[in-house]
Amino acid sequence: MPQLQQVKNTHYPLGYWQKVTVLIWLIALLIIPFADIEIVNFDPLLELTLMAQGLMAPDFFATEYLFQAVIQTINFAIIGVCLGLVLGAPLALIYQHPIVSSCCAFFRAIHEIFWALLFLQIFGLSPMTGILAITIPFAATFARVFHDIINQSSDSPLESIDSRADIISRFTYGKIAQVLPQLMAYTRYRFECALRSSAVLGFIGMPTLGFYMETAFRQGNYNEGAALLIIFVTLIGTISYWCPPKLMMVYFIIACLTLVDIPAVDSSLLVRFISQDILPPALVNVGTFAEVQWASLTTWFTDLLVEQAIPGGIATITLALLALAATHVVTLNAHALASRQLWPTPLTWLGQLILLIGRSVPEYILAFIFLMLLGPSMLPAVIALAIHNGCVIAYLAVKQSNAIAPQQMQMSKFNQFNYHIMPNIYPNMMALLFYRFEIIVRETAVFGILGIMTLGFYIDSNFSEIRYSNALVLITCTALLNVAIDILSRRLLKFPKSSQTRC
Amino acid sequence: MITIDKLNLHYDRTAGYNTGKKTGKNKASTQVIFDLSLTISEGEKVAIIGPSGAGKSSLLHHLYQTLQNRAALCSQRQGLVDNLSIYHNIFMGALARHHWLFNLVNLIRPFKQDLNNITALCQQLELDQPLTKKVDKLSGGQRQRVALARALYQQQDIFIGDEPFSALDPLMTSRLLESVLAQHNSVIMVMHDRELAMSAFDRVIALDKGRLVFDSKQQHVDQQQITKLFQTSAVA
Repeated sequence: MPQLQQVKNTHYPLGYWQKVTVLIWLIALLIIPFADIEIVNFDPLLELTLMAQGLMAPDFFATEYLFQAVIQTINFAIIGVCLGLVLGAPLALIYQHPIVSSCCAFFRAIHEIFWALLFLQIFGLSPMTGILAITIPFAATFARVFHDIINQSSDSPLESIDSRADIISRFTYGKIAQVLPQLMAYTRYRFECALRSSAVLGFIGMPTLGFYMETAFRQGNYNEGAALLIIFVTLIGTISYWCPPKLMMVYFIIACLTLVDIPAVDSSLLVRFISQDILPPALVNVGTFAEVQWASLTTWFTDLLVEQAIPGGIATITLALLALAATHVVTLNAHALASRQLWPTPLTWLGQLILLIGRSVPEYILAFIFLMLLGPSMLPAVIALAIHNGCVIAYLAVKQSNAIAPQQMQMSKFNQFNYHIMPNIYPNMMALLFYRFEIIVRETAVFGILGIMTLGFYIDSNFSEIRYSNALVLITCTALLNVAIDILSRRLLKFPKSSQTRC
Repeated sequence: MITIDKLNLHYDRTAGYNTGKKTGKNKASTQVIFDLSLTISEGEKVAIIGPSGAGKSSLLHHLYQTLQNRAALCSQRQGLVDNLSIYHNIFMGALARHHWLFNLVNLIRPFKQDLNNITALCQQLELDQPLTKKVDKLSGGQRQRVALARALYQQQDIFIGDEPFSALDPLMTSRLLESVLAQHNSVIMVMHDRELAMSAFDRVIALDKGRLVFDSKQQHVDQQQITKLFQTSAVA
């Protein structure tokens, strides 16, 4: 071997994704001192043993109306997704219009729970509330994702179609037919999300599984809670067996037939809600424009902003940023746990089961369990968000990494994993992580109901104090915050579009 | 039928590569066709030959753009929709002949008449695969014949093809070429096989580095000249 010249101080700069990773962690470390994450509970062992005992002996017969609850959970999800498709798919075709895309971004940014809280005031505990709460944000999401999928399809089939053919024929044969499997796969995934959302709506009183879950956990009936969780995880894990896409229409009809009766909407309630309840106090009973007391309106608005919106917003962002870093860790570990590139196939089934449980159990229940163990602080929410989102990203990343062909080179599985698999999937993993960040911010809303002082907390308490106007302003703030984060994270992802960008 | 005078074509490099950002707009595109003049009359069967990178495909796509309303294109990129069956891919040629509602229903439930036509077409093209098979399951040669069948099913006056037989064996190529020539009034085709181009077409034109090198209509062309064209290009 020839003598190589010795070079000193060689500089090897960090790759783009390394920089992004370091940035995420730096931010998290910087805000930890300001976040409320101390462990308060001194005796978590007692609660933990009770929970473990419950899990060991799940009681499937403790819940009254269990069958009804399962059926309603599925019904809301199916009808919500179907209506979401009916509204969202046409919107996807005109999504490039800035008004459509910003309206969709706004509607998407409001969590299902907030939609439900709004509709609850108009429709009461009617199925309409649950269905609409799922339909609206789902339609906005379908519009965006379908638009992206269709845009990514190839234009070459259009080239060879006779240009005199009408636009509908050209579009269905040349474009839609190309991406139909992706559209179906995404719809299937959203159905899973809808089931989860449907269950979560139980936490605010809808008659779905979440309602019984919350009751069971709050009352310490862990045997019952465990049984409900097992049913729910099985339901989500076996979707592809009981709901093949072909049967979707059949299920939709069954769902409409078995829906609990929709009570008639009291129109006076609707009118009252729009003309009085949601107006700020200074505007109620004001006849003309001149009578408006601008001073009191401004005070009301500033007070709301300073006392609730800003502290809530700060808490939301703190929680979300911490959860982002924690999700990163969970993703890396959970992916390694279930990757076929690292373990023999039978062992990966165990990993897959862990991922399934991690992504199926509603964050709210996860947070609730950790709240019991660690006491009230932000920590349970961070852990719950990290487990849930980490498992979702890992699930998608495992699908991708399992498809990668191993290198034709003599090296151990572990080296192969670090030098071949990870560099391959890391950019996509980070892209998913940033996409999930938007969702993490949305999901912080749920923890507000558990008492963690995010924007969701203030919205929930305003609703229970019947201050709808305040709640509406705060919901708008939340939506605007989400839209801003969406734009920011897309900027961050836009730069390394090409696959050449080094990890 | 078509006359082009002093055509200059540019190939936008940003469309092909992702690295056009730093260079200015002028540098981003390369010229592929230089001052090319050509007249093709109704009923002619023209073959275009030339070494790779000579600008044949660019010229052909330009001709198609101009003749779009009367011509069927069989592009090198094929543009097959992988998720659709052989039947639907070929049916795409007939989209313009039917109302959109007919086309949508056909996507779910194929119509008898088209089914019969396409079966006959497949037999003619020696494509002995079930029509329900998805095209991503086909071999290269079979895919090429599906693309060809779709162009034929457009039932146009003019056929424009970019090496439509490159993945087929020579015997099949000459059989299929014969039926393409017989079914169309005018044919413009980029040909890979020089000898076949000379023997089967009325007229052969050759391109090299974006310029028209010779045209068999204006001068007598022999085999030697063609061989020379490809040799000099290979050296350069």
